[in-house]
Amino acid sequence: MSRRKFLVLYRGPQGGGEKPKSPPSPEAMQAMIESYRTWMDSFADQIVDPGAKLMGEGRVLSAKGVADGPFVEAKEVIGGYMILSCESYDEAMAVMKAGPAGQLTNGSMEIRELIPNT
Amino acid sequence: MTEARDGALVAHYFRHEYGRLVARLVRRFGVHELAAIEDSVQEAMVAALDVWGPRGIPDRPSAWLHRAARNALLDRTRTRDRRARILEERDEPAPPEPVEARLGGEVDDELLRMLFVCCHEELPERSRLVLALKILCGFGTDEIAFRLFTTEANVYKRLARARDRLRAIGAAEPSGATLRARLPDVRSVLYLLFNEGYLSIRADDAIRAELCAEAIRLTTIVATHPAVADPTTAALLALMHLHAARLGTRTDPAGDLVLLEEQDRSSWDRERLSTGMEWLTVARGAERLTRFHLEAAIAAEHALAPSFAETDWGRIARYHQQLAELDPSPIHALNRSVALAEAEGPAAALESLAEVVRPEWLRDHYLWDAVLADLHRRAGHTDQARVHRDAALDAAPSEAIARALDRRLFIG
Repeated sequence: MSRRKFLVLYRGPQGGGEKPKSPPSPEAMQAMIESYRTWMDSFADQIVDPGAKLMGEGRVLSAKGVADGPFVEAKEVIGGYMILSCESYDEAMAVMKAGPAGQLTNGSMEIRELIPNT
Repeated sequence: MTEARDGALVAHYFRHEYGRLVARLVRRFGVHELAAIEDSVQEAMVAALDVWGPRGIPDRPSAWLHRAARNALLDRTRTRDRRARILEERDEPAPPEPVEARLGGEVDDELLRMLFVCCHEELPERSRLVLALKILCGFGTDEIAFRLFTTEANVYKRLARARDRLRAIGAAEPSGATLRARLPDVRSVLYLLFNEGYLSIRADDAIRAELCAEAIRLTTIVATHPAVADPTTAALLALMHLHAARLGTRTDPAGDLVLLEEQDRSSWDRERLSTGMEWLTVARGAERLTRFHLEAAIAAEHALAPSFAETDWGRIARYHQQLAELDPSPIHALNRSVALAEAEGPAAALESLAEVVRPEWLRDHYLWDAVLADLHRRAGHTDQARVHRDAALDAAPSEAIARALDRRLFIG
């Protein structure tokens, strides 16, 4: 199967650093290192552009003109992006679940396939 | 103090209270008063030692100290200049007892801001470290000199210059965007502080553990404070916990270095390990890999491997390769060769080093020769092994390291 490109958009606030609660069992620790390995490996194999976080403020252009934005009143703003190279949505989702999406306490991640330029 | 009738103060009470008080007063009166504030806090602590001994520890020791320090500061500034009136007007009541203060509380807030002041980009990196040790960890100049293997005069000069610099540039308490912009510098200083403890080949165990604990204490504030918490700091904190878990087993009772393959894995600190793994999970929120993510990953691989032989050396070699790509230091190449030797054998390891040029600053370092001696020994190149072993032994910075090398590099 050929590889396709996917754009990941983070919406809402980024997950912060809540202090962990109860100590994990050895079994749980093994699962943690497995997830971490998957996540680390995704940087070599699937993440073609790690993207960036976006500044909280910007400008919004529309037919009505220019406004300061984005939409402070909106519940969710786009906080960052990343570009993946994967064979399927399933693979792209697995990459994100091992990584940032596994940490989401609020907000969401949207994965959209990029249509190649012809 | 601990034998006072009101019972013991928590460990390092005065040292940590020093940091809290300075941070609190700087918040009130400004960074430009830093020198006067430090002197006043010092004065209050000396007064406490005099008074608390005979009378016992007061019910609210932190409020007592705060009051004494604030009064000393006002005396100092009143006699010094006319700004005293302004200072008094800005004065505020004593703080609540901070001992039980929890995450994100006001005390953390003040310490965090003070840490970011200490890491001002206008200061040399070494001075940032010294300033953090003085102000946030509450060490005296002699104690800092002892811990950083320098002279007291040097520490004193650095501190004086750093305070002057902060005053001259009118350094303000950082907030918002400034906090986030300075975060990488703060992480570097915390990393430096940790390594002063963890990697030191000269300090004794107690001192090393103490520096590591201080680094973990301050990094925890940065990793949990809502204004700056992010996954990269979580990675840094993870690597600190994972390394610190093994700290106690790196030397034997006689003070000799115990190599990783000889360490008793069952005596690694399980609690630290699990805390480290949890922070590692938080670290996965990052959008890109940093050196802290890679170093934490390596530490985790070692920490969770059931034995030296069952360690995933291939993976560790890959992580070192990635580190070298981020930060082209020959140290990463050297570390990678050590992992490769376990994964693929000494020949592959030597080959990986063939094109690496030993830099000038590592010319006389024992580690380079020690690794080469070991690789050549295992590859059966007895003559080359001897040459490097002798060079490593000559350069060994301590008796303990020389003994460990001699044991490891024994050539029959």
